Amino acid sequence: MIVKILSYLQDHARVLKWVFFAFLVGILVFDFTIERHHAHFWGDKVIGFWALFTFFGCLGMIVFCKGLSHVWLAQPEDYYDREETENDE
Amino acid sequence: MSSTVFLHPASYFIAGAILLGFFGRIKIVQKVILLGVPLLAFWQIHALPESFGICHFMGFELIFGRVDKLTYVFLHVFTLMALIGAVYCLHVKETGHHIAAFLYVAGSLGTTLAGDYLTVFIFWELMAVASVFLIWYRKKKRSIEAGYRYLLVHTAGGLVLLAGIFLRYQNCHDLTFAQIAANGATTADYLIMIGFMLNAAVPPIHAWLPDAYPEATVAGAVFMCAFTTKTAVYVLARAFPGFEALAILGAIMTLYGVGYAVIENDARRILAYHIVSQVGYMVCGIGIGTAMAVNGACAHAYAHILYKALLFMGVGAVLEMTGTCKLNELGGLYKRMPLAMIFTVIGGIAISGFPLTSGFISKSMIIAAAGADHRVVLMLMLSLAAVGTFLSVGIKLPYFIWFGKDSGVEAKDAPWNMNLAMLGAAFMCIFLGVYPEYLYKMLPFAVNYHPYTAYHISETLQILGFTGLGFYLMVNYLHPEPKCNLDLDWFYRKGALVFMWLAKKPVSIANDWVGEVYRTVGMRFTLAVARALSWFDWEGIDWAVDNSARGVVEAGDQARALQTGKIQQYIGGAVVALMIVLLVVVFL
Repeated sequence: MIVKILSYLQDHARVLKWVFFAFLVGILVFDFTIERHHAHFWGDKVIGFWALFTFFGCLGMIVFCKGLSHVWLAQPEDYYDREETENDE
Repeated sequence: MSSTVFLHPASYFIAGAILLGFFGRIKIVQKVILLGVPLLAFWQIHALPESFGICHFMGFELIFGRVDKLTYVFLHVFTLMALIGAVYCLHVKETGHHIAAFLYVAGSLGTTLAGDYLTVFIFWELMAVASVFLIWYRKKKRSIEAGYRYLLVHTAGGLVLLAGIFLRYQNCHDLTFAQIAANGATTADYLIMIGFMLNAAVPPIHAWLPDAYPEATVAGAVFMCAFTTKTAVYVLARAFPGFEALAILGAIMTLYGVGYAVIENDARRILAYHIVSQVGYMVCGIGIGTAMAVNGACAHAYAHILYKALLFMGVGAVLEMTGTCKLNELGGLYKRMPLAMIFTVIGGIAISGFPLTSGFISKSMIIAAAGADHRVVLMLMLSLAAVGTFLSVGIKLPYFIWFGKDSGVEAKDAPWNMNLAMLGAAFMCIFLGVYPEYLYKMLPFAVNYHPYTAYHISETLQILGFTGLGFYLMVNYLHPEPKCNLDLDWFYRKGALVFMWLAKKPVSIANDWVGEVYRTVGMRFTLAVARALSWFDWEGIDWAVDNSARGVVEAGDQARALQTGKIQQYIGGAVVALMIVLLVVVFL
């Protein structure tokens, strides 16, 4: 059953996308309505602070980590094994 | 003492491990033991007295059992996890695997209950030695190598811990395992802390974890993700709450772990890096050290064990059924493994802290404690790590395994026992989210925290929703690549190669050269000296003591004639001799 539901959703990905965007707007609207007396710091008083923080944090993290991986960290999968065999020769 | 052995839950697991060895051929008995022992321990921890199993050994007081609320919450989740893990590995055929898992759990329970540093150390090492077999039972070359590295790193950490314990004994002659005041800590205390931090995988001594866990067996990884790091969290919470270093390192850990989780390709390595991140929350909470923060650390440890094990079980099921858990080789599996998908997604949303799941009620407690303590930077770091958590484990991992491009990998749902174990863990994830008081009642301090406030829900929904947006925009850039990402294990893996090169080239050349000198000069000289001494011994000394050596040589010749070279006859002879000795002893 779950497979059918998921396949149906996958076939209607466009609708799903708009539902998702509507959900995001809904969250922001919800943020206008709530009380904030227990603010821990200035950011807690700004409406939509966590949305902005998350969005830029998320993009920044992806770009930074993937970039670092591409320029430096990523090596072929047999990186450690290969060095050993080279050394044995 | 003998009666209190039966109180200690670790002794059940050790006895269980021995029995498992005896019933290696009778699988049904083995299964009863596998399920019965954790059940018995889970029931029995409710009946533990505050203190038991105190014995004196070589002038030291060993305390095997010390129970308070901090101990209890960890015992509760450890025994529960042992039960879930036992169900998950019911189908595993190797008896040794079960024995290793049981001894590993025993080590963890023993450490949790220990009241002095020596007892902590004994069980600490039992944990390290038992768990390495869970890696080796994968029986692949990579696993064997990773297991040796794991063992070496943990031995080094254990030695640092032992050095700290010795120094501490020299300083104050007191090995009681209790809270250490942050302003009066000495070198000894910091050495102990480093030993503990190694097991908690605090960078820069974390690399053993993402190196070893992805190489463990499918069921072994489920056990390992639960016990080593969380036992370390327990000992840190016991001895070092309020240490500023832990608060800062913990916050760094959360980001370090998710950073790698974002770029990794192997699903179990993503989860392993993510343990570093999640344990970071707990370490940070312990470092902040307020009642709420330590409560949060314990609550998060409880919740984390269950959902991380659930994730490892789900991904392990994929590995078991398809033979791979590399994201670039998977995709579109939801049609073939729907049950594993449902359970893993539940684990994924729990770890991301969706409302009505266990992550929501535990992680937020630590973040709120950081806020209440006016640690804005720590709080923002922890929140950013929450973003990365949802990005890497909540979306990326399920998306590239179960959805995304269909890889065409053949698979079907896992055996019933795996699904049952996942069902149990998934149930707990949601149960704790819906009914947090069950967990809050067990925490070491009284809880005055309500997770379900409008502001917290709004904050969480914004974090989750906009992380989703970020993923949606960047999905192509996030595509998994079959790469090996360098980490700090580079230093000892490459360092070992340098060492081997040194051993092979300069050292071995020097060795050959010395050997050559020895052969040409030393050998002749030694032989000449030996001949002279031998002549003196034979002709000089033996003549002086009445030819006894010649007599011994002749007796030896006669004895040699008696020797037939058959081992059965020797054993028989030894048994006869033993019987004669026994008879003499008994009757005289």
